[in-house]
Amino acid sequence: MTARIVINAPRSSALLVWFAGWLMVISGAGCGRPPTGTEAVGGTLPDHEDGVQAWPVTIRKPEHPPAISMGAFDGQGRPLTIACATCHATKPPNAEARIGTPLTQFHHQMVGRHGDLSCTSCHNPAEGYASLRLADGKSVPYREVMMLCAQCHGPQYRDYQHGAHGGMTGYWDLSKGGRARNNCVDCHDAHTPKYPTVAPARGPNDRFQTGDRHE
Amino acid sequence: MSESKTFSLPVIGEVNRRTAIKAGAATLGLAAWAVAIKPWFEWTGELDTSDFLQKHYRELAPEELQVILNRLTDEARKETGKPVVVKDHKPIPGVSFAYALNLSICIGCRRCVEACHVENNHDRPSHQSYIRVFEMDKGGINFEKGDATYDHPVPAKDKYYMPVQCQQCENPPCVSACPIEATWQESDGIVVVDYNWCIGCRYCEAACPYHARRFNWSKPEVPPAEVNPNQSYLSNRIRPQGVIEKCTFCLHRTREGKLPACLEACPTGARVFGNVLDPDSEIRWVLDNKRVFVLKEELGTKPRFYYFFDK
Amino acid sequence: MKATGVVNYVRFLRRSLHVATDGGWVFYAWMFVLSAIALVGANAWAVQVRDGMIRTNMTDHVSWGLYIANFTFCVGLAAGGVMMVVPAYLYHDREMHDVVIIGEILAIAAIIMSTLSVVVDLGRPDRFWHLIPGIGKFNWPISMLTWDIIVLNGYLLINLHVVGYLLYTRYQGRTPNPKWYVPFVFLSIMWAISIHTVTAFLYCGLGGRPFWNTALLAPRFLASAFVSGPAFILLVMRVVRVGSDLPMQPGPARLLVQIIRVAAVVNLLMLASELFTLFYTGGAHLASARYLFFGDHGKYGLVAWIWSAIAMNLIGTALFFTPAALRRSTTRVVACVLCVVGIWIEKGMGLIIPGFIPSTLHEIVEYAPSLTEWKVTAGIWALGLLLLTAMLKVAVSVFTNRMSESESAPDSSSRAT
Repeated sequence: MTARIVINAPRSSALLVWFAGWLMVISGAGCGRPPTGTEAVGGTLPDHEDGVQAWPVTIRKPEHPPAISMGAFDGQGRPLTIACATCHATKPPNAEARIGTPLTQFHHQMVGRHGDLSCTSCHNPAEGYASLRLADGKSVPYREVMMLCAQCHGPQYRDYQHGAHGGMTGYWDLSKGGRARNNCVDCHDAHTPKYPTVAPARGPNDRFQTGDRHE
Repeated sequence: MSESKTFSLPVIGEVNRRTAIKAGAATLGLAAWAVAIKPWFEWTGELDTSDFLQKHYRELAPEELQVILNRLTDEARKETGKPVVVKDHKPIPGVSFAYALNLSICIGCRRCVEACHVENNHDRPSHQSYIRVFEMDKGGINFEKGDATYDHPVPAKDKYYMPVQCQQCENPPCVSACPIEATWQESDGIVVVDYNWCIGCRYCEAACPYHARRFNWSKPEVPPAEVNPNQSYLSNRIRPQGVIEKCTFCLHRTREGKLPACLEACPTGARVFGNVLDPDSEIRWVLDNKRVFVLKEELGTKPRFYYFFDK
Repeated sequence: MKATGVVNYVRFLRRSLHVATDGGWVFYAWMFVLSAIALVGANAWAVQVRDGMIRTNMTDHVSWGLYIANFTFCVGLAAGGVMMVVPAYLYHDREMHDVVIIGEILAIAAIIMSTLSVVVDLGRPDRFWHLIPGIGKFNWPISMLTWDIIVLNGYLLINLHVVGYLLYTRYQGRTPNPKWYVPFVFLSIMWAISIHTVTAFLYCGLGGRPFWNTALLAPRFLASAFVSGPAFILLVMRVVRVGSDLPMQPGPARLLVQIIRVAAVVNLLMLASELFTLFYTGGAHLASARYLFFGDHGKYGLVAWIWSAIAMNLIGTALFFTPAALRRSTTRVVACVLCVVGIWIEKGMGLIIPGFIPSTLHEIVEYAPSLTEWKVTAGIWALGLLLLTAMLKVAVSVFTNRMSESESAPDSSSRAT
């Protein structure tokens, strides 16, 4: 298995399982964009050589490509969506369209801010935009969108792999429990990846604290 | 010269007026005294003898500790109506915790502050938490310009955010200060407080260079529905009035292998935690590969809470 | 029938109690007012214990306040008695020897006041037994607070012994045996230095509080103690001279004034040195001093306090240098009051509070004592003055031969107008 080839430090149970888990696992139930995944697919865990069973690190992944919502519902009440290929299979790809171009038809007026990327630098025209592609043209399924982010944002991806970016819930000690991690696109909208400004939670309610409003 | 008009009283016999007046005044004084210090007895009346005589945590035999834990559990259940369990969590051998915070991606949202507030059963009216987040000016680490009371959308322009909590120093000034060893450092590095031993002198609070300690100026108020029922003797059980408390790296979670509540709450993943003795841990990677620094290094406290920037 | 030693001693104590509660109407009025204030203080403290220290205005930012400020001052007051002991015993000043007991009695009252000031500051006074070595867990020698407990209680015991021994032997009409008190007196000289040094070490050892973290803190404490202590003693001596018929020579007071002159100048010099080092260098160390003297970030809570203290200290010192101060005069009284109050402020609000403002993370949260804190502190002072008055009454009675073992008649009260 790929994990075993990559890992050459037999005692590193945590790292071993981390990679194994990352490669093997499953999308959690997504919410909103990107498209929600289905239930987990369990993977078998390689036992650590010391015999300590290590728990998986699960990473949410988009299950399938995004689809445009029609706003209508079918007979069973499911929302009607259209796959990208429905329109784009019959249109020639426009390599000039850049991320700043507002898409006035069918794309919910989407405008992005992500450098000066063209749409086709990520969306794969060779497959009717049903997949993504790397800079060398290699196709990347939507599930593996993190590879796409990583090809340019290497430092952040490296930090993510080492737990220094993107957060986690669960266990620091993987011999006692697993972890769940977000995907890049859970926090960073791929078209406008800048982390949004948020309202902070309430600060402390100290007596006699009038704040440090300095000039 | 004393007045010597004397008169006879039953039992006492001959007594002069001065003495009689003095005796009367003394009685009134004692009565006034009793009334004056009545509130003291309202307080001590609520304590029971086993509370009063309880030994220091480190001197309790396992059975004695279990008796205390059972009593605390029962009291907590009665007060909250929730299935509270107060356990004791011993340090895991071979573990030394460290925490790192990425200042490049902390956005100052205070979700960690909120999570600590809920996880550790903090007093609600004061919105207490062990973490204070400082909005700092970019270009330096100047707390004189820092502000922990900001109330605007974050992150603000030209600012970065520095959450500060207990650094679990390797050379903790608070532990040296305590006159009765109510606070000490355990083998995994966490500095803990025995809430049933602390006398509330607040010398440790004066000694701490990081504003990490909190005192219970009153009995903490937590609505029963919001109480976190997974409690531990040395960490998040509801503390009594008049004692000191502090961040324990969520030892009731971390000593079971879980991540601390503040880390789980962080939406950007600015927090990194783990066993620094494990060469494959995330925290080790951060300490080996990022340019980490600590606060007030010159004081020689040797914190195990590290800060770093990505660039 | 010859009574045993214990019975005699008990009788001495009973008679002391009688003497201590007997006097003219001014005395009764004084004791009544003090008792009333003490009761108010006791009640305020009991309420504070029940409701929690939220009754004070202390916070996690300013976690020590009026109580510890008062504690610091009272320790200095107790140490000041040594300035009578040194001339009396080391320099064999006969006249001083006659009145040195006043300084030692003040030391007892002051130590009790300082101990009470700490007890009322505890969040859990019901857990006091945790402090008892052997029974609780005493973190000696690492914690400076444990050193402070040892030296303060030791000083109390030394002075109780010396005062008790001298009074009792005088009461019995016999000369005191030097071996039972002179070694303790010499011990008390060193010990007096230690109580205020250790108290200073409580603060100056904390690296996280740069305002306190200076080697000069202990010497400053001693210098101001040697002003406030003798000044307070001068006031007490004036009351004793005016209110009783104990013969008082002018020499001891004059000597105390001369001691105060030196100590006051040293105190001011040390303060100047401290201020120069802070203000000239600047930087983060300056933050507390800047807040104290000039306010910071729009907050000026302590500015009025410190400048009043500085003014009082300067004027008081200047008055001490006038010829009038060497005579029995109003100037002397005014100078004493100014120095005592000035040093109370400077040691209390001018040292303890600014140590917490700005906080260790440079937040400025101000502090002014709450009514509860004022009441409790007033109660402590009232109790201290009560004890002081009572002990002085007994001492005066004994030294004017009104209270002695040989007399069979009931004691008449000393004339306290």
